[in-house]
Amino acid sequence: MTEIVRDQTMAPAELPVAETGRDFRVPFGLVLVALACVAPLFLGNYPLHAIIIALIFLLPAHGLNLLLGYTGLLSLAQAAFFGIGAYTSALLAVHFGTPFYLNFLAAGVVTGAVALPLGIPALRLRATSFVMCTLGFVIIGQAIAKNWISLTRGDMGLAAIPKPYFALGPASFTVSGTVGFYYLVLAIAALATLAVYLIVRSPAGRNMIAIRENETLAESVGIPTWYYKLVVFMISAAFAGFGGSLYAHYLTVVSPLTFQMYYSTTMLIIVLGGGAGTISGVIFGSLLFVGLTEALRVAPELRMIAYGFFLLGLVFWFPSGFAPLIGRFWSFLEKRK
Amino acid sequence: MFYTIIEQVVNGIVSGSVYAIVAVGMTMIFGVLRAINFAHGEYYMLGTFGAWFAIEYFDLPYPVAIVIGVVATAVIAVVVGNFVMQRIVGAPAEAGVLATLGVALILQNTVILVFGGSYKFFSGGYIEPVTLFGFTLAEQRILIIIVGLIVFVGLELMVTYSRMGKAMRAVSQNIECCAVVGIDVRNIALWTFILGAGLAALSGVLTAPVNVSVYGGMGELITFKTLPIIIMGGLGNVRGTFVAAMILGIAESLVATYVGLQFRDTVGFATLMLVLMWRPHGLFSAQARF
Repeated sequence: MTEIVRDQTMAPAELPVAETGRDFRVPFGLVLVALACVAPLFLGNYPLHAIIIALIFLLPAHGLNLLLGYTGLLSLAQAAFFGIGAYTSALLAVHFGTPFYLNFLAAGVVTGAVALPLGIPALRLRATSFVMCTLGFVIIGQAIAKNWISLTRGDMGLAAIPKPYFALGPASFTVSGTVGFYYLVLAIAALATLAVYLIVRSPAGRNMIAIRENETLAESVGIPTWYYKLVVFMISAAFAGFGGSLYAHYLTVVSPLTFQMYYSTTMLIIVLGGGAGTISGVIFGSLLFVGLTEALRVAPELRMIAYGFFLLGLVFWFPSGFAPLIGRFWSFLEKRK
Repeated sequence: MFYTIIEQVVNGIVSGSVYAIVAVGMTMIFGVLRAINFAHGEYYMLGTFGAWFAIEYFDLPYPVAIVIGVVATAVIAVVVGNFVMQRIVGAPAEAGVLATLGVALILQNTVILVFGGSYKFFSGGYIEPVTLFGFTLAEQRILIIIVGLIVFVGLELMVTYSRMGKAMRAVSQNIECCAVVGIDVRNIALWTFILGAGLAALSGVLTAPVNVSVYGGMGELITFKTLPIIIMGGLGNVRGTFVAAMILGIAESLVATYVGLQFRDTVGFATLMLVLMWRPHGLFSAQARF
């Protein structure tokens, strides 16, 4: 019976819209997509940079949302996979000069593969121990990046990672400017969002939600919960790896600082603040928490203090993130009609 | 060779005592609040800064600085406890993680904003070396071991015999039943939190003369060192936490000597993962509770 209490923190899959009223979400979504497509026309380079960073962080956040919002596993490992993805891409690009799409795919495949041996022992743990174990992945990942100097060059990091470069037969081109990168990231983020949507709407997505709501019950009706958790853990890692790859190619440097606890917390804040278990909430969350903090150029300490107070406000006043607010906005529009 | 090993083990016991005093507060807070306190290392930092402030600005002697550091931290803990920690009693795990991360960000960056982010020199403490059984050790390190023992015995007695301690154990077993029999859960949570923060501050002040440097970001490292300890010790288990802290302290000091200093800060989480693979519920708990 106590399981029902969870609903207060995890929003239901996607807030249902009354069947009768006109659905404002589709036209509104289309307007947003159109705005995103023409954004470079009226935004300067700096706001565009902020949005790029937000969209890069959207990928690991989507992964974490699948894990936390839909399957109910709180993980801090996203920064570790983000870092592994960034290093995979960077090493391939620097040593072999491979084109961007290969590096990008390799980052996702490698992180997904790394997640398998890490996930098998970790997923057997109970909640709190699992959280700590995933935090350990980040700490140990950073130590490896720092100390495997022959591969990673330690604290000096890898520099001069080429900008995304495509080669198709004789034609090849390089995405160099902010605007070009913006469209690349936008396209990838849109694809990732579509992928998450398809996963969540599939029968597998229903099974994941069942595991989140009551794992024992889910197991008893024949859902192979263990394989589901493992596969979702790998998928979420792959998403983080894709994000890391974009990050490496955008900033053109990676250092052991890519593996930092702060990134894991940021991703957690995006998901919980935006609304775990909703797709629109996570998109909103990444624009709000990453884009906005990137755009606000104040003293870093003040920014962090404000961030801290913001977290407290979030926990105590909006325990399910901002998604319910968005939902309320839609139903408000419908009543007005 | 043999001498070096013994020396490193003794050093390990010293850092183990430091970790133990911090971790024991964190594990008790977990027992009562069911929340991992990601801000715990910040109280260690606050205690150190309080003492450093008293010595640097008012020229007070070290023993007085210890008291000031601990009391100042306890006062801050009362505020945080009232506004944050009491409200996460019974809240889901994510709420506890986010709220304590928020507190950590606020405390750490406020200190950096007020005092600057640079390293500061801590000038108090008893750093004269003494020779004991053929080993040379700074007085401060002996003090740390003694205080560690006193805290351990004191907490064991308190948890076993005092009314407060019994209430703490009761709350960590079943919150609803405690409310039914009339234990003020929120009050117990507040006092446990203040006690834990105070102990962390004490540990910080005691270590400052050994570490010499004081800086705003120092709490984070301590948080990351105590997290594996409290999991290994079995969450909420005071005795287990002490043993785990000693194991980690000794392991760190041996790794730093024989493997490489740069691997020292990774020992905790590496050990934790090995332990969890072998015993998924910690070293000392009969069955998994959390």
